[in-house]
Amino acid sequence: MPVTNPMPDGSGDMYLGLGVVSAPRYAGADQRRVRLLPVLQGQWSNGVFVSGMNAGWHLSRLPLLEYGPLVSLDPGRDDGGAGASAIGIERAVGEGNLPRLPQVAVLYNAQVLASGNRLNGLPAISRRLQGGAFLHVYLAPTLRLTSSALYGAGNDHDGATFKVGLQAMGWAPAPHHAVTFEGEVALANRRYNQAFFGIDNDQSVNSGNPLYEAHGGWRDARLGARWHWTLAPSWMLVSSVEATRQLGATRTSPLVLRTTGVSVSTALAFRF
Amino acid sequence: MKRRFFFSSLAILACAPGWQPAGAAPGDDWVAYRDAYRSMVVFEKYGGPKSLLQQHLQVLPRTPGLDTHRVVLLVAGKTSQGRFPLDATLRTVFPLARSAYDENAMLQLSRPLGPFTVRPQVSLALRPDNLYDSAELYSGCEQALAYARQLALFGARRCTGVRFVFAKGSVAAPVTLRAGADTALAAAPGAPFAGDGDASFPVVTYRFGGTRTQLATASVPLAITPLFD
Repeated sequence: MPVTNPMPDGSGDMYLGLGVVSAPRYAGADQRRVRLLPVLQGQWSNGVFVSGMNAGWHLSRLPLLEYGPLVSLDPGRDDGGAGASAIGIERAVGEGNLPRLPQVAVLYNAQVLASGNRLNGLPAISRRLQGGAFLHVYLAPTLRLTSSALYGAGNDHDGATFKVGLQAMGWAPAPHHAVTFEGEVALANRRYNQAFFGIDNDQSVNSGNPLYEAHGGWRDARLGARWHWTLAPSWMLVSSVEATRQLGATRTSPLVLRTTGVSVSTALAFRF
Repeated sequence: MKRRFFFSSLAILACAPGWQPAGAAPGDDWVAYRDAYRSMVVFEKYGGPKSLLQQHLQVLPRTPGLDTHRVVLLVAGKTSQGRFPLDATLRTVFPLARSAYDENAMLQLSRPLGPFTVRPQVSLALRPDNLYDSAELYSGCEQALAYARQLALFGARRCTGVRFVFAKGSVAAPVTLRAGADTALAAAPGAPFAGDGDASFPVVTYRFGGTRTQLATASVPLAITPLFD
């Protein structure tokens, strides 16, 4: 039994809820959109977890290490910039491996965009189930190094990403309030960046965007803060603000009109 | 709502000095039982050596300097109820109860002391005869260090000693070192645990080194805490 899911044997720790998120229509868009935000998180004592758009299995027996297989639903993108997306509202509080709180998933089909959208004429990118692994290390009781590798995004199922980040947890500015800060950089292979940020001949003709070949490498860097307000043992308000800066080949893509995008969200979650 | 005492230890604890009448008004502030459970069960599930250790849940009032004498930790769930007296260091043996976890019970204090948090606190097990062998104290410290090291990559690396924490009003030299001639070790004011608000407990620090010896305490310490570098 992995100690990294600390709870009674045979039990779980679940969250369900609803909120709103305001974010760029797609990575690099200059227009924003407000969407509904279903909250979904579950952890079970056998190590299995569902966390927003991710699901995995904790295999480690050492609290300072968390690793295991990971599957993740890539949201894809339609020609309006919509698709499934996810934001995380995970937290850890106090010292040692204290409780982790929920991540949030969004599955949403947006309305068609108004004209002027750079994605007009581009093929939709379907949702894809990616497979990979995660590895987290607690450098200190409230400082966690995170990493994950996933493969399978894009219409050709061959987009790969690798993310590495740092989370500082456990800051409690007031009773029942906890804030987590995190930073993360993401790298992607050429096929991923080409699928989401490149423009080939046909796409150029259909969309009017110039040809663009996106090489692999840096995808983006993200800085964020999550604020958990525990209203009652079973109710929590989770809010977050996050800035994402496109890097490398994605930054100079004709689809990227703003290299830095900010998203904010708030959601009410029920714990059971 | 009919109160139902479900913890097996309750019958004993209800007779302890910290017991208060059920009618005493608890404070409004609370901590989620599930969060406390999840922080405490890590030690319970720890598979390494821990025979010389014990774990308590410690209450940390946000406002220091309050009168915490005879405060009781209350478990309040739909059907799960329990009362757990806190010692002078505001610790208690935490009841790992599946029913309270499933009900998402809350932890409250028997008196309004304002907001508080809780944290697990690992210390060395106490001996009923008040006699401690220095080699055993070192082994206990090593067990505590090994436990701490599997929680985070960076941190303490070496055991340097232990601290004996006594109740206020104890004798001036509550620990005697029995190495040839007896040597009384004087206490100095200190906090039982790092981060505690009250630093006026008599504390005797014993550092490892030298020959194996025996230590006798004049009374039962409140806690023996490991000292790391």
